[in-house]
Amino acid sequence: MDAATTANMLQTMQDQAGIPSHPLIFQILMVFTWIPHILFVNISLGAALVGLYAFTKRQDPNWQLLSEAMTKVAKVGVSLLVVLGVAPLLFTQTIYDPSWYASNVLSAAWVIGFIFTLTIGYLAWFTFYLKNHGAQAPGWIFWLGVFGLAMFLLDGFIMHVLAYQGLHPEKWLSWYTPGGHVDMSGTAIHAFELPRWGFFMAMSLTVFGAFLIAYGDYFKVRADRAPAYLDFARALGAKIAITGALLQVVLLLWWLIDVPAQVHVWTHPMTWLLAAYLFVLLAAFWLARSNNAGQGYRLLAMSIGMAALVSIFREVLRMAYLHPFNYDILNYKVLWDIPSFALFLFTIVVVGGLMGGFIITLVYKAGRVQGPYEADATVTKLGNGSLASTAIWVVVFIGTGIWIWLRNNG
Amino acid sequence: MNEMLGLYPQWYVPGIGTAWVMGIIGTIHVLASHTSVGAAWLFALLATKSVHENKPEIMVYLKKYGMFLLVFSYIIGSITGPGIWYSVTVASPRGISGLIHNFVWLWASEWVFFFVEVIGVYAMVYLIGKIDNKTYLKLAWSFAVASWATMILIVPILSFMMWPGNDHWFQTGSTFDAAFNLNYFAHLGVRTAFMFAVAGAVGGIIASTLKDRETRIEITRFLSKMGLAGLVLMSFMFMWYTLTLPDNARLIMDTQMMPRYGKVLLVLLTTTALYFMFTAWKPLQLRQSMAGAMTLAIALFGLWPEERSRESMRKPYVAGQYIYSNQFFSRDVPGKGVKSDMPLIKANGVLATDYFVPADLHTITPENQLRAGSLLTHVMCANCHSLEPNGALRPLPALFGYSKEPKMIKAYLDGALYHGMVPYMPKMPLPEDEREAMAVYIASLPGGSKKPASVAINQTEIEAKGVN
Repeated sequence: MDAATTANMLQTMQDQAGIPSHPLIFQILMVFTWIPHILFVNISLGAALVGLYAFTKRQDPNWQLLSEAMTKVAKVGVSLLVVLGVAPLLFTQTIYDPSWYASNVLSAAWVIGFIFTLTIGYLAWFTFYLKNHGAQAPGWIFWLGVFGLAMFLLDGFIMHVLAYQGLHPEKWLSWYTPGGHVDMSGTAIHAFELPRWGFFMAMSLTVFGAFLIAYGDYFKVRADRAPAYLDFARALGAKIAITGALLQVVLLLWWLIDVPAQVHVWTHPMTWLLAAYLFVLLAAFWLARSNNAGQGYRLLAMSIGMAALVSIFREVLRMAYLHPFNYDILNYKVLWDIPSFALFLFTIVVVGGLMGGFIITLVYKAGRVQGPYEADATVTKLGNGSLASTAIWVVVFIGTGIWIWLRNNG
Repeated sequence: MNEMLGLYPQWYVPGIGTAWVMGIIGTIHVLASHTSVGAAWLFALLATKSVHENKPEIMVYLKKYGMFLLVFSYIIGSITGPGIWYSVTVASPRGISGLIHNFVWLWASEWVFFFVEVIGVYAMVYLIGKIDNKTYLKLAWSFAVASWATMILIVPILSFMMWPGNDHWFQTGSTFDAAFNLNYFAHLGVRTAFMFAVAGAVGGIIASTLKDRETRIEITRFLSKMGLAGLVLMSFMFMWYTLTLPDNARLIMDTQMMPRYGKVLLVLLTTTALYFMFTAWKPLQLRQSMAGAMTLAIALFGLWPEERSRESMRKPYVAGQYIYSNQFFSRDVPGKGVKSDMPLIKANGVLATDYFVPADLHTITPENQLRAGSLLTHVMCANCHSLEPNGALRPLPALFGYSKEPKMIKAYLDGALYHGMVPYMPKMPLPEDEREAMAVYIASLPGGSKKPASVAINQTEIEAKGVN
């Protein structure tokens, strides 16, 4: 399909209902909510890989402890990455609806397969977690874990395909009608980019390595965690992070070479900023490799910074890919809906802040104490705020609803 | 008038259709998600009882039930939640797009609650006995209210799918006018009541394994009372719910859904009530297998018919009575600037206005008529009808009596469908040559072995009932 027709098609496919706030708001939310999602993807994949490797060496107490801990990290991580993935997906559908929906329908069987493979993969991993206790854990469960991880990797690949196919609207018609015959089966994978997918996989090693160093620092105050074990975890984390960052540099280069020339990726400042930051991150891990105690949070924060740059770079690439087809989210029809926007702001700031803050602070503080934990003043206040904000939210929402319902239907 | 159609490519699943794919995932999700919301309240109530009556043994149950729920509800529920979204995306992209673009801030607000709910459940389970009672109760009640808030926020979207219930939203385009539609509170009531009932049933799976006799009796009776209260409330809410439905939905419910599922649902309701009465009377007789079977029965004989009925009763629409099931916009929505697709397809047809048509099919010729008919039939009909003679989803060949007569089929396309006279079918004002191509293609479909359920029968019923 030629560029002009593709441009018209994209414009026609945008939802006629428009969007209820300025497109930049959705774009910023999309980019910044994707960051925690990808961080948990990275941590979960890294933890699953290391949890499995450690399982094969479980006769050594350090490896055995690490295997159990990382199996649990992956278990919690996957459920969080799923919920964290909802927000960027929502905002993507709002401003890039043609790309997301067309790509999904063209590979619909894989989209449905994603749900089932993620479910059975997670159940397999959960079973692995339930059985992975002590040096005498049965060897066969290793394969359950391998199956779970394989499903997670497959699901990551499916998500990559769906995002990547959306960047090529000029090919959608030819993918849908190969040889002039309409293919509604949705069974084909039409396009993928190995270096791009590989980059995110390598990123899992980097982020997980930083997480492991921070894990060592977090538990240093717990008397029941041996310092030798925490040193072991930190040293391993540093090695993994250095390997990951190195691989990321190589794969980024390959990825950039693979991007079509008309995208002009080499001339964009974000490309060079990301590359430079990767080198800085690599250097930071390298410098901390032999004495990284107490540096975990700093290195983890730097890795989060890297994820933020990757997220922005990813969006810059999408804009560049769609630019030849005049697809600019700033042209999206805006019909402001202030009440529902205000509802979201109140929900995320007040409820998210107080209840989310309460739970995260509580878990953080309780986890650092061996034995029962008595809430301090901060946690007590956050708990009160959490309860009050959720209750007020419900009363206000339902109250507003009754008023509108009576007004419109009375 | 629009110049081109904003349709997407189409996904077709032979035999069961995309509607069943959505239905299967939806049934699993509804069971898991409603259980989780109901269980959140159960947690809060039992934790309060444990603290106030100084019964730490109740916490043992909560820990066991919580671990079970992590897998049953939060893992399966949180994957199948986006799973429904994914399945609707590939089955009805314009439908989900319409909902997203109306309700994005409600959905985003739900996500906030969803997030705190998922981190909350881990805290609820792993912090039992680890933190002081007062803080635990704050956590438990925040969690319960936040869980219910996810339901409060998703029901506006689900009830809007049925209909706005008045003309306000069409004129204003306001999210709140769409959210607080006529059907909203009744629908919320049904789901709230159901969550207590199903949490009562699922809770028995773990309660039946408790070692301590007194605790087992106390918790089982608590679950039974909660389940019964849920059932009673649900019955009243369902009556209100039916009063808030549009005429087309009432018609389909009376003529198609109740004859098919009415007895099954009544038997299930009675059985569930008897089950709760029995477990309240003889709590120690409750076995894990009984609770498991009750849960399965609710899923198979309650939720599956409910999911299928809701999908059917919305017909011919998929959302807001402005998007047809086959993805076309049925009417203008001035408040949103949405223009009906009907004038365009009446003037220029679908083949020349849909971007996803092979170039050689833009104009119908004797050589490509069958292929053109195939594409048109898939686009216009396959969202709701299997094209296989014995397909599970209202098979089209059977509905036409396995007719091999294009003229007979075309008469239906020319009349009732062209003018939009069938209450549960989209209007299809296609040009002559496109109707001809569809008729030729439908007549070419293979015959089946089942007895046909003819179009004429359904129409007679509808005429007898009358539609306002």
